[in-house]
Amino acid sequence: MKQKQILSFKNVSVSTKTDTEILHNISLTFRQDDISVIMGPNGSGKSTLTQAIMGNPEYKIKNSICFNNKNISNLPTEKRSALGLFLAFQSPIAIPGVSVMQILRTAYQELHAAKIGKNTNKVNAIFNTRWEGKDITISEFVDMVEKYAGKLHIDSGLLTRGIHDGFSGGERKKIELLQALILKPVFAIFDEIDTGLDVDALKTVANGIRELHKQGTGIILITHYQRILSYIPPDVVYVVKQGSVIARGDASLVSRIDKEGYKQFT
Amino acid sequence: MVPLPSKDHYAFGFHKPETYVYKSKKGLDMSVERDISYQKLEPVWMRDIRGKAYDIFFSKKMPSWGVSLHDLSFDDMYYYIKPVESQVSKWKKLPKDIKDTYDRIGIPEMEKKFLSGVSAQYESEVVYKSVQKTLSAKGVIFADMDTALREYPELVRAYFGKIVPSSDNKFAALNTSVWSGGSFIYVPKNVRIELPLQAYFRINAANMGQFERTLIIADEGSFVHYVEGCTAPIYSTDSLHSAVVEIFVKKGARVRYTTVQNWSTNVYNLVTKRARVEEEGIMEWVDGNLGSKITMKYPSVYLVGAKAHGEVLSIAYAGHGQTQDAGGKAIHLAPETTSQIISKSIARNGGRTSYRGMVKMIHGIGKSKSKVVCDALLIDDMSRSDTYPTMDIQEASAISEHEASVSKINDDQLFYLTSRGIDQQQATSMIVNGFIEPIVKELPLEYAVELNRLIELQMEGSVG
Repeated sequence: MKQKQILSFKNVSVSTKTDTEILHNISLTFRQDDISVIMGPNGSGKSTLTQAIMGNPEYKIKNSICFNNKNISNLPTEKRSALGLFLAFQSPIAIPGVSVMQILRTAYQELHAAKIGKNTNKVNAIFNTRWEGKDITISEFVDMVEKYAGKLHIDSGLLTRGIHDGFSGGERKKIELLQALILKPVFAIFDEIDTGLDVDALKTVANGIRELHKQGTGIILITHYQRILSYIPPDVVYVVKQGSVIARGDASLVSRIDKEGYKQFT
Repeated sequence: MVPLPSKDHYAFGFHKPETYVYKSKKGLDMSVERDISYQKLEPVWMRDIRGKAYDIFFSKKMPSWGVSLHDLSFDDMYYYIKPVESQVSKWKKLPKDIKDTYDRIGIPEMEKKFLSGVSAQYESEVVYKSVQKTLSAKGVIFADMDTALREYPELVRAYFGKIVPSSDNKFAALNTSVWSGGSFIYVPKNVRIELPLQAYFRINAANMGQFERTLIIADEGSFVHYVEGCTAPIYSTDSLHSAVVEIFVKKGARVRYTTVQNWSTNVYNLVTKRARVEEEGIMEWVDGNLGSKITMKYPSVYLVGAKAHGEVLSIAYAGHGQTQDAGGKAIHLAPETTSQIISKSIARNGGRTSYRGMVKMIHGIGKSKSKVVCDALLIDDMSRSDTYPTMDIQEASAISEHEASVSKINDDQLFYLTSRGIDQQQATSMIVNGFIEPIVKELPLEYAVELNRLIELQMEGSVG
């Protein structure tokens, strides 16, 4: 079972609340072992795909998104997260006064509850001094967060600030990746994590994603550019255009797109 | 419809049997007012002050602005209840029911841990008071107002009613006429009281009117942090809490006054609070309003000395059936004075919050500065928030800023947190607590924890 989990779309259509269909009859399969990549021009529906996986209530879904052949289309977002799905947002929203560390602490305890034997008492989200971890103490947890923050060259001062509140573009991307590294999901979806990063930051982020993959997390990478893929060689590449999957291939597909663009796929 | 949390989650709604050594008759007339003064064996001058205030109360109309007080019935209240014969300084000497009440609220425990002194008022009288001996040795006075009037009559006379005269408003007149209990604090020159002094106000009886009177004098270069908390049982009939607080901040002194108001939702809370700040003095009001049926309260700073600074940090929460009409006033009367008013309010389940405030800067005070920020958060479509700022700036070189915002709980923020495995309810609590964090971080840790816990309880069941 471990390492072999599967996230799949079976003839899925996704539309907005106002019934504008964005993704049409899509079928896809992501494996935990793989680094999967979804490419496509702007406005093709790539971000909508990530939001549909996480269950953003703004979208309506027809047919099934399955996790290990179990339909999760009707599960609330936090339950999908509990199954092991994680989304690194393209433009994550700021939440003033709710710090990165607080979110990580709360989320870690929620997601790893079974593992660490959390009791049934509700944890106070703000002053959860009653750390419920059995396999890891609160100070070990904080050390772990700081270790990964260091690897990603994140200023540790950011960890106690309101998440994404006044953070730079690069800081936002790194904080999203940091959460994946701490929460260790089964699948992590990165929605254009490479956009707007300089070369050094891009390398740092790519290293982080590789490390996450090594730890056993399935990677789903949404991108416009092959730039990041030279650091993270993909196993499977999908091309999405105008709301449909129009090509599937291996890493060689990336260089074809790089040379000839998306026009070749019609 | 979401379930109403207020009754289920209000931990202090219990009541004890009404035992008392004296209870005035229902309603207010001359004999009731006279009786209070007689019971207390007050000096003639105080009796005169009460008498004049009594006339002013009846001659003044109800406020024509703000929240409607149409349903408030003065005739149905009891204006004076004396619960015990005399005050004690050991918890175990209190009658069992009263001691049990404070144990359940947790006051004796807090006193042991982090307070310099505690005063506990039950109905109309302070029944328990203690202060650390080291403070008394330094000349600090921490007493209830009645004791202060007996033991330091000249000091009380010099300051009583000097910043909030009984003619100020109808409820100040009512308080002045029937006041009982409250705190008196004198901090001598250059004495700094590091741990807070706390007063706790408890209403137990139904249809109770509680009218405590508080006077704080911080002499030059001194510092004191005074904290007050308040709760009451839930009754189907209304109670009234109408306090007057006067604070004198002398040259270079600093006073911080923190309130965590958690009255049950059948209490009218109509309070006048004002501070007079001399040269280089600092006054800080930290005002948390969570409970009550209707609160009208606008802590004020009168900056009368050069470089005086005043601050009002206000948090208000209004749930079903509640109106929180809160804010602050800064009156700049001297050069280089500065003030800041920050208000954060949260309304849900049909609750109403209003920011009402005033900044006045008179001509000739030069580059004085004032900043007002008021942010409102609405949890649902049934709730409402309004802003009523008044700016009266007569000095051209003075700087005054005003920012206001009203926002709803943001769906994108909720989606973000739930995508991290945090459920809707906990996510909502986190966002709300994040919203008030700039003010909560100013509270002593114990109160910050308490306030966050209270907000979290109020949010339970807030997401359907």
